[in-house]
Amino acid sequence: MKKKLLSILLATAMVATMAGCGDKTPADSSSASSSVADTQATAPAEPYNLETLTMVVNGTLTASVENRQDAFEEQWEAAVSEKIGHKIDLVIQQQDHSGYVDAVGRIFAGGDLPDVILMSADMYAQYAPTGILWDMTEAYENAEFQSRIELKSVNEAMKIDGKLYGFAPATGNGCVTWVKKSWMDAVGVKAEDITNWDAYYDMLTKFTTEDPDGNGKNDTYGVAAAGFVGFEAPYINYLPEFWQDAYPAFVQDDNGVWYDGFNTDATKQALLRLQKAYNDGVIDPESLTMGTKDVRTKYWSADQAGSFGAFTYWAGKWEQTVYDNFETNGVNTELVTLAPLAEVGAYLNREAPVWCIIDDGDGDNSREQAVFDAFIETMLDGDTVQMLWTYGAEGVHWSTAAETVTLKGKDGKEDTVKEYTEGQFHLLPSPNDPTTAWKSNAIDPSLVIAPLTNGISSVTDIAAKGNIFFSEHSVQAPKSASSETLTNEGGTLNDLKTEVITEVVTKNGDVDQWMSYYDEQSKSLVETILAELNQ
Amino acid sequence: MSKKKAAGTAKVHKKPLGIRIWNNRGFYVMLLPVLVFLIIMHYWPMLGIRYAFYDYKPVGEPVFVGMKHFNKLFSAPPFWTAFWNTLELSIIKLVITTVASVVVSILLNEMGNLLAKKILQTVIYLPHFMSWVVTASIFSLFLSPSATGMVNGMLRDWGILTDDMKNIYFLGDSHWWRPVYYVINIWKETGWGTIVSLATLSGINPELYEAADIDGATRFQKMRYVTLPALANTIITVLILNLAKVMNLFESVFVLYNDAVRDVSDVVATYIYRQTFMVALPNYGYSTAVGLFRSLVGCILVLVCNWLSKKVRGRGIV
Repeated sequence: MKKKLLSILLATAMVATMAGCGDKTPADSSSASSSVADTQATAPAEPYNLETLTMVVNGTLTASVENRQDAFEEQWEAAVSEKIGHKIDLVIQQQDHSGYVDAVGRIFAGGDLPDVILMSADMYAQYAPTGILWDMTEAYENAEFQSRIELKSVNEAMKIDGKLYGFAPATGNGCVTWVKKSWMDAVGVKAEDITNWDAYYDMLTKFTTEDPDGNGKNDTYGVAAAGFVGFEAPYINYLPEFWQDAYPAFVQDDNGVWYDGFNTDATKQALLRLQKAYNDGVIDPESLTMGTKDVRTKYWSADQAGSFGAFTYWAGKWEQTVYDNFETNGVNTELVTLAPLAEVGAYLNREAPVWCIIDDGDGDNSREQAVFDAFIETMLDGDTVQMLWTYGAEGVHWSTAAETVTLKGKDGKEDTVKEYTEGQFHLLPSPNDPTTAWKSNAIDPSLVIAPLTNGISSVTDIAAKGNIFFSEHSVQAPKSASSETLTNEGGTLNDLKTEVITEVVTKNGDVDQWMSYYDEQSKSLVETILAELNQ
Repeated sequence: MSKKKAAGTAKVHKKPLGIRIWNNRGFYVMLLPVLVFLIIMHYWPMLGIRYAFYDYKPVGEPVFVGMKHFNKLFSAPPFWTAFWNTLELSIIKLVITTVASVVVSILLNEMGNLLAKKILQTVIYLPHFMSWVVTASIFSLFLSPSATGMVNGMLRDWGILTDDMKNIYFLGDSHWWRPVYYVINIWKETGWGTIVSLATLSGINPELYEAADIDGATRFQKMRYVTLPALANTIITVLILNLAKVMNLFESVFVLYNDAVRDVSDVVATYIYRQTFMVALPNYGYSTAVGLFRSLVGCILVLVCNWLSKKVRGRGIV
């Protein structure tokens, strides 16, 4: 009897809960919006009084919780409240950087929508057509910072059918290839000779077989990367010399017609180059499993056994970071930045990550405009708020006060002490690591589209030179594709591409056979996607 | 007559349900938290099953699509690869770790030095408490194909790998991945698995060993004819109980697999992970359909195990 009673209770509870849920549609992303809409509809004429602004961001906001995000938040609130004329609270929802795509998906599915959200170009291309992102074209055109924008093309490139759904405060930047000069010297290679694939591959081979670190063993590699192909656009940017003119994604030709860039002869040739490098031991086999952090650490590690000579990574600020780590770890070398090989032509400037405003769908733009005014308009104000986004909180991350700044010595080394005079801009020790100086916050000062108007800059010579080099040797990366079938079947296609790449590269698979396999398996999907893209 | 009738039809008249509940109210109050927990943690989430029949994306209303996701699922070769990999990896891992646990238990049981036995037991239990992430990091370092990889270094020092041979990428080669995976599982879980077997061994009647001694049995014969038969029921029970969980394989594979070995390592849970978390705008409907199918298979396995358990032990597992 007790069992029966328990069963009845459980069944009743289940029915009740199902009934309770039944009348509310799942993942009702517009439910929150509609409640907002109801409230809005009653007083559309009044200027929207935005009291709280919720933002979702990934790890690019370096003023994280452990790096005194509270100070950033407090100073942002004070500065923006003064600008918009009333008090505003900033709520930062910082998500795990590596799981950001997943986290954003969950946030949307949960229906608890933020006001602004940072999106990569891939995400932007997928989310913009859904109608959840506000069309900020007009607000952007009328923004106060327009007159100070030096790089207008950055946001022009983000427009979809002439409409802007996300704002990029900085260029997307891209990767360049650096080579350890000491290794080049050790194997007798000159930088100016590395102009084509053959010379490049020959250099990599020498790095693998001629003991460039001089430890008496052939235990180094020519090159390493976090994967043979990336997960995010532009997918080929960590191994551009191998991919050359191939682009393994949906891409437009000169006439604007979309085609499958994976199913091309260029991709086939790229796979053969990767296959050869893998077989020759020129490419670190752990490239299969390493993340970007693993690759970086290996490149600048104190013990250069197992390290590699050519490293393709983000231009500018990261070049300075590599130098800093060489110094910290006692790796005695300079970096030579390679100009793009003849076969590569130019490095790729990725589509910039953008800040998007969530459209509540009520047909009234006053809330969205208020979010734009408080968040995006102030972001590039050239002064106080832009300083916050660029360098963080005053007195915590940077300062202009007359003071002595001490960077703690690492591993028993002596502290570094520097004196600054009143009004002299300087970066303070990182809150979570007093051995290193703070570098910047969410906006890279060397990539921003509208520079600060207060004359402050912390861009080092190395980073500045790196950025100039990149801008002179790069072209805009292909635009990310977006279609319903691509959204639905992206995972399936990614699996298939990965299978083909690994079978050919790591298992010596026959490239023609595997490309035919890809063609066979993906044909109907690709045809549908291309039909959608080209309609 | 009436007394006779009363005696002949001795019928127990139950009190009304409400009174019985009131009389046992203490028990029902104690039951309540469990019931609430069960509903919230187990039954409430089950409502999500319906998304298997919807196109359910982070943005917009869910759209009913019927069996669309199941049609896609059953026609997707990567899913079937993952499905069979799940069964193979789980079952082989289960058998190997169970056998290893039994062997180690018997060896531990034979140890005379109590202190050494306790120290050894503690040492082999420890890996169980290490997270899979840490375990994977340690083994990735040991098995690295680079110059810093300890195992490759040893193979080279011993002359097994000659100068003209490349280092072995144990975790990046389909031929090596599964053996390595099993070895790591043995290292991590054997110690913990010995607990049940050792408990059983300590319950074996010493008279059986004395009788065997009188019969002139050797140590090996005592193990073969006394210890192992005594353990048999426990071994079968452990196997059956764990068989019901074979579809739950995820963490250990997720932290050790990579693109190059996906053909031998991808399991249903990692397949779901990729389909859900590695695309810009996931369709949770498809992931739910895969998850539902996995749960159904798991459910069937539980029923099979229950049936097997009844056959072997005389009672079910539920």
